[in-house]
Amino acid sequence: MNLALYKEMMRVNLRGIMNYAGGSAFYILFMIWLYPGLADNTKALNDLVQAMPEGVGKAFGLNNGFSSAEGFISGEYYGLILVLILAIVCVQMSTQLVAKLVDRGSMAYLLATPTTRSKVAFTQAMVLVTSLFIIMAVTTLSGFAGKAWFLGSGYEFGIARFSQLNLVAFLLFFAIGGFCFLVSCACNDEKKALGISGAVTFGFFTLDILGKISDKLDVLRFFTLFSFYRPGEIVQGTAAWAEVSIWLLMIGLACFTIGIQLFRRRDLPL
Amino acid sequence: MLQVEGLTKQFSNGKGIRDVSFTVNKGEVFGFLGPNGAGKSTTIRHIMGFMRPDRGSVTINGLDAWKGQGQVQRHTGYLPGEISFIDGMTGASFLQFMASMQGVKDTAKREMLIRRLQFDAATPIRKMSKGMKQKVGIVAAFMHSPEVIILDEPSSGLDPLMQKIFTQLVLEEKAAGTTFLMSSHSFQEIERTCDRAAIIKDGSIVAVKNIHELQSMQRKLFEILFETPEDAQRFAASGLIIDSIAGNRVRIAVQGNYNPFTAELAKYPVRSMDIFTQNLEDIFMDYYDREAKVQ
Ligand SMILES: Nc1ncnc2c1ncn2[C@@H]1O[C@H](COP(=O)(O)OP(=O)(O)OP(=O)(O)O)[C@@H](O)[C@H]1O
Ligand SMILES: [Mg+2]
Repeated sequence: MNLALYKEMMRVNLRGIMNYAGGSAFYILFMIWLYPGLADNTKALNDLVQAMPEGVGKAFGLNNGFSSAEGFISGEYYGLILVLILAIVCVQMSTQLVAKLVDRGSMAYLLATPTTRSKVAFTQAMVLVTSLFIIMAVTTLSGFAGKAWFLGSGYEFGIARFSQLNLVAFLLFFAIGGFCFLVSCACNDEKKALGISGAVTFGFFTLDILGKISDKLDVLRFFTLFSFYRPGEIVQGTAAWAEVSIWLLMIGLACFTIGIQLFRRRDLPL
Repeated sequence: MLQVEGLTKQFSNGKGIRDVSFTVNKGEVFGFLGPNGAGKSTTIRHIMGFMRPDRGSVTINGLDAWKGQGQVQRHTGYLPGEISFIDGMTGASFLQFMASMQGVKDTAKREMLIRRLQFDAATPIRKMSKGMKQKVGIVAAFMHSPEVIILDEPSSGLDPLMQKIFTQLVLEEKAAGTTFLMSSHSFQEIERTCDRAAIIKDGSIVAVKNIHELQSMQRKLFEILFETPEDAQRFAASGLIIDSIAGNRVRIAVQGNYNPFTAELAKYPVRSMDIFTQNLEDIFMDYYDREAKVQ
């Protein structure tokens, strides 16, 4: 790792990261603030969900129930909004950190200094992981803060399960970020890297939703990383979250390693 | 100091470089001449270790350029042919960042270079003109006092005054023992600084010569305007190599020896005279032709 590069890259990207983290914090606080109002009408809401086609409810996590705050948040926030935010961050940042520098030629300056390609690639990977970590950490802390401010002790909020949910969400995007990073390391063209990693990430997401909507399409879920991520099951305590975490961690590490090795060995048109 | 041996690289589109070899000695300024698309930047990318050769090798200070990544760069400075910096920086913050990557703490040389090249380093790079960016790149390549400086078309974008200052900088560094490799597509640009030069065409080296030999090989075109068409006719009939004649205007090619030309010309009243700027192939036309015949 190259500390000078790490600092510079964090400085350049910090504002964007903070915008996403701030947006995420605001959103989760908003959801928690909403919850008490909804919780008092839990029955009516559950009836409403029952009345909708089953697939739709499943796809958007409405079936996680409204009886606990983390159940509500896991469905409404962790099931869609957070996933979209982190997916965008992964695709955008991974492209910016490697493929863009190669495409524009600025990578030449970095590699003209006494550092190795592995170090440069590793540093850029660390910048991506740090960014995801910051966003997730801010989100998690906001969740805790929201509980303290808006829920007090009057409503159920499982700290342990909420933490597990955040851990798995972070690791999911560690794995997806790893994949996007690998693509970025392999591409000379910024647009191509953005296109491929974006298509695959959102493709994964779509497959997952389709798989959830219809039981007939269930096989699709074998083809997407999102099947590891079941926010509803984690908050209900039925998910093998530790096992899932290890899998995601391994997939992420493998992708980052392959990306760095690819970058180390290939020709760069600088 | 810098050895390029049998360097060969073929791209998927069939373009590339073939069997490029030359050696740059310590403290020498070596020019690398070639028209657009000849393979100058490709060769330099191999020297910088950005590409892996199909065959051949590059050695800098005894280290292989591809395998010695991170080691070789301790001894080199590099100015890329296409300038592009990281977004959202000013010239000064970029140079500060480069210095920290290079592990250089002393800012005296950087400030001297900025002063000499006369630019405002506090300008955001996004708002810089091409020449200004080129200056930032030159400072980044020189500021850590490397032993070898590799410059890909260093004076592109610089105005004539700045080109002169740049030439002075190169000569000063050379006097201090720095080795240079610089590419260019114009002979005039390198003849002031270089000791030797290689000429590359379509991916192959056609000549490696010292600069005096190249100067004598160089073919210059003069256009002379005589007082009368008769003078022009008589001058053209004197046995010199005439490129073209029209009315009282004669275009004449001179290579190496200027004496017969000046002696003959002294016999006539001359209204005006011009030197024609030519491209590299025309300057070394004889040389390229001879190569073509040999092959
Ligand atoms: N990565 C690449 N893939 C395919 N072809 C390439 C690649 N890089 C260079 N080329 C081709 O190789 C040839 C040599 O290119 P190079 O950039 O070395 O020329 P150059 O001598 O630097 O020219 P210029 O004076 O325009 O900078 C060109 O025809 C170019 O199109
Ligand atoms: Mg070039």
